[in-house]
Amino acid sequence: TMSMHTKFDLYTYWTSLISEINLQLDQAIPVKYPEQIYESMRYSVLATEAKRATPVMCIASCELFGGSRLAAFPTACALEMVHEASLIHDDLPYMDDDLFRRGRLSNHSVYGVDMAILAGDALFPLGFQHIVSNTPPGLVPETRLLRVVSEIARAVGSTGMAAGQFLDLNYSEESSVEFVQEKKFGELSECSAVCGGLLGGATDNELESLRRYGRTVGVLYQVVNDVLEFKREQAEGGGKKKGNSSFAKVFGVEKALEKAEELRVKAKKELDGFEKYGEKVFPLLSFVDYAVDRSFDVVGD
Amino acid sequence: EEENTQKEMSFDFKAYMLQKGNSVNQALDNAVTLKEPLKIHEAMRYSLLAGGKRVRPILCIAACELVGGTESMAMPSACAVEMIHTMSLIHDDLPCMDNDDLRRGKPTNHKVFGENVAVLAGDALLAFAFEYMANATVGVTPTRVIRVITELAKDIGAEGLVAGQVVDILSAGLSDVGLEHLEFIHVHKTAALLEGAVVIGAILGGGTEEQVQKLRKFARCIGLLFQVVDDILDVTMSSQELGKTAGKDLAADKATYPKLLGLEKAREFAEKLNTEAKEQLAGFDAAKAAPLYALAEYIAHRQN
Repeated sequence: TMSMHTKFDLYTYWTSLISEINLQLDQAIPVKYPEQIYESMRYSVLATEAKRATPVMCIASCELFGGSRLAAFPTACALEMVHEASLIHDDLPYMDDDLFRRGRLSNHSVYGVDMAILAGDALFPLGFQHIVSNTPPGLVPETRLLRVVSEIARAVGSTGMAAGQFLDLNYSEESSVEFVQEKKFGELSECSAVCGGLLGGATDNELESLRRYGRTVGVLYQVVNDVLEFKREQAEGGGKKKGNSSFAKVFGVEKALEKAEELRVKAKKELDGFEKYGEKVFPLLSFVDYAVDRSFDVVGD
Repeated sequence: EEENTQKEMSFDFKAYMLQKGNSVNQALDNAVTLKEPLKIHEAMRYSLLAGGKRVRPILCIAACELVGGTESMAMPSACAVEMIHTMSLIHDDLPCMDNDDLRRGKPTNHKVFGENVAVLAGDALLAFAFEYMANATVGVTPTRVIRVITELAKDIGAEGLVAGQVVDILSAGLSDVGLEHLEFIHVHKTAALLEGAVVIGAILGGGTEEQVQKLRKFARCIGLLFQVVDDILDVTMSSQELGKTAGKDLAADKATYPKLLGLEKAREFAEKLNTEAKEQLAGFDAAKAAPLYALAEYIAHRQN
């Protein structure tokens, strides 16, 4: 059954979830007084170019164990909120100093550095609040919800994404590009898979497999992104001002592509134990191929 | 009423603050350990363990004990509240915000570790506060832990602390800032987290809805009181006495209570808030409420 997933229509699965996620995110951040902060939060969270890969992976992991996607949506949205919060802070002038994000001005370029910091500071707690207030009671035991909160907090925290950002800014020959990428890009993907599993009722062993799967896919996705970006930079010039942890830049495109193939095999292997769930594992398997092949555009045309 | 005043008089506030403060400091020291990457954790600990007065965590524990809970039930959340408070100070001191070089008598976080680490250390403290509440709370039902997570998140986000900071920033340089506007800033920027500290303690300790509501009102009064006194101190004390830059509000031409009301009327307003706060404690056992009476008194009459 494992090869059957190639016939799975990931595009339809993914895009139909995107519209539901966008709708829920839109409702989760209504504009109130003081309007500026809500507008700044909405600017980043509701960016139409956002692929929503993190929330979709959370929902797919929850559904793998027969969990209802209704149980997963609030956490899926929360993952997107904390993800945007950390991207807003990563883009700041004394961080990666990115004027643009997804082809349009970054948050601080529009709202100012002070608002951008506060928008991030508001999105982190909103994410936690969204999970505990909106997960339908009865679908998920409260102890599991607390594990989800703690999992997300750890992923964005001082040993997770914040550590990744710090190591990226202080990149030296000694720090390994793989380690930086695991922290900066693997953590959230890992967290997303694990949270989905927690919400869907996965066993501790299954959660460990999801942990390794998620981490591997997150790094894989970034390694391929680095290759695409490197090629674009070669063609157009320019590129990021700060942050050096590009696998393609450090090891070259060929080695990066070899690495990607290695990670593709590893990620799929982590799913071996889930064969018993039949076609419910297809979305997670298809993500792995998508991460490498980018066979379609999720948003835009 | 008279009996309450007597209990309050006989209560050794200094010893109480010292003892609770030590417990909180110990718990914070154990909660945020040094690990890789060292610099982020050093930055987190630098500000978190900088010897603040621990008013918020002590309020949290006092409220928990008032309604029949224990110190250990409230301690992880009390620490979480202090982590959030510290995080908001780190971000607030940044050059793009208040641009402060001095905090609690020491160079501010970004002065020591740089702006990027200061932002990350703040973010990490924010996240860890929630992780710690969710993970380290013992002897309390998950339902209550979920309630206090909701409370903290609401108090510090765009409806709470952040709203206060935003309106504060947007008001800088405005000439027509009225009392209502000023109160919005302080109710959100300062009172929200103090309110959260008290309400969280009361929920964890198993307080009834009525008790939680009374303590919420108590906290809102002392939260506003805290800021009114802060404004008064800014114009009456020196930087050395305060351990932070004095006269800043005046220099920045910020709206403050002394500026809008005059110093005397601001002092009267502080007394009114103090009285209103204490009225909320009337229905509680006087001996158990003594720490909260004394904390209100302390906030009203502190010198720094």
